[in-house]
Amino acid sequence: MKHQLKLDYTIPFGGLQPYFDALHDGKALASACNSCGSVAFPARTQCGNCRSSDMKWVRLNGTARVLFRTDASAGSFALVKFDGADTSSTVALDNPENDAMFGTIVAPKDGAPGLWLTLVDTENEEHDGR
Amino acid sequence: MISNVSFAGGAMAPFNRRKDGSSFRDWARAAVQGALDDANLEVSDIDALVVASESDFFTMQLNPAALLADECGLVGVAAKRVEGGGASGHLAVHAGVAEVASGMARRVLVLGVEPSASHLKGTDVGALYGLSFDAWTDGMTGIDSTSLYALSAQAFMARTGATVADFARIAVRNRAHACANANAHLPLDISLDEVTASPVVASPYRRLDCSPLSDGAAAIILARTSDLPARPQGRARFRAAVSAVDTVRLGERSDPGFFAGKQRAAQRAYAAAGVTAADIGMAEVYDSYSGAQLQSLEALGLANGQTIAAEREDVFSAQGAVPVNLSGGLLGQGAPVGATGVAQVLSAALQLEGRYFGQQVANAPRFALVDTHGGIATLNAVSILEAP
Repeated sequence: MKHQLKLDYTIPFGGLQPYFDALHDGKALASACNSCGSVAFPARTQCGNCRSSDMKWVRLNGTARVLFRTDASAGSFALVKFDGADTSSTVALDNPENDAMFGTIVAPKDGAPGLWLTLVDTENEEHDGR
Repeated sequence: MISNVSFAGGAMAPFNRRKDGSSFRDWARAAVQGALDDANLEVSDIDALVVASESDFFTMQLNPAALLADECGLVGVAAKRVEGGGASGHLAVHAGVAEVASGMARRVLVLGVEPSASHLKGTDVGALYGLSFDAWTDGMTGIDSTSLYALSAQAFMARTGATVADFARIAVRNRAHACANANAHLPLDISLDEVTASPVVASPYRRLDCSPLSDGAAAIILARTSDLPARPQGRARFRAAVSAVDTVRLGERSDPGFFAGKQRAAQRAYAAAGVTAADIGMAEVYDSYSGAQLQSLEALGLANGQTIAAEREDVFSAQGAVPVNLSGGLLGQGAPVGATGVAQVLSAALQLEGRYFGQQVANAPRFALVDTHGGIATLNAVSILEAP
């Protein structure tokens, strides 16, 4: 038989709503643990390092260094480290024709709340190398 | 240590892409009847059913445990469905082991089934698999499973010096093993060059580095050792059934190329079984991608910290000290998700009993290890079985 199932989800982001609101505007909002100081980006509602729930929001400058990248039929993706964050992030690459190792967060263009990076040719001076 | 749970019997419906009009209900019935025949039991001897199926989106069937109990004539049994991504089948086996070990059930039928190949387009399955990680972060970037595995593999290669040639060797070897397995999806006689010349899917992975989407089913019956049928005798026993998770987001791991959750599960399994990695004489390992097999072998500790060297010295080949994936693994036997882990356990048990239907291990060892995971080794299941 042939059968088509169309689903239309409405999913609240709960405690991560501020992270996704910032992402929508092309800004990097991380979570910082008030207990151990660990900074997570993408953000978390509980610290992934010490499991504390005492968290605050911190704004990152949105620049990142590429650790590994892969080019696929589905798109180009990378594991990157955003400046100021202690964790890495998987991102979609906005301009995969560029092979630069640094980039800047950009607002998602496909309507989905994904994390996108525009690659830039030179390292941002504010890059902290963490 | 688990001391009273035995493998009573099992069977599988072939893994492939069905084109004969048969349904997952047909494959499930065939696997169940095969398992009952192998164990010399009747449906009335079974008092619990555990079903593994990864996603209702594949089957278009919610509450599949009740449906499949009905389909298989298991009237009035206890029934449940277990899900854990790619590890669903193996976790269902663990649930069955727990039921038998605790005395909740005397004989448990574990049934894994998935129509991963024929119900949906490959692109739709890929989109669903993209939600197997953190759907809000990884998933919303549009990243697919192969790309995430590729990023992890690159980190592994950078740290260990593993190469695409190492990955290709595994892709060739597992397909060669599958040639002796009549139930295998991809029994291929291919060369290293064919692997490295196949189309890039997500660098460094090429098409022949990737396991296929398969249809299929597998069933095993677990019983307290004292409740095994009088005939046949000589069944494998469970010594450990352990699972452990890693962080869901690849970027939160201290080394995104190391399967730390799998290492944790394996170490707990060795301790639970009272053995060491050196006691393991063969393994069925989760090779969703060729490189993932090598990453898994590293985490399982089967080569005393010398995984790459061991791979290059053929330690994991059929003639080696620790033969791996003689079934063909996911790369060769195939991957109908819910059935995958059940079939891995089936293969290991039959190998230990000396009656495997594919390539039999040259010298049946005392202990075999089975390894399965969901995500990028996010939810890891490890079992250790002992020969009769």
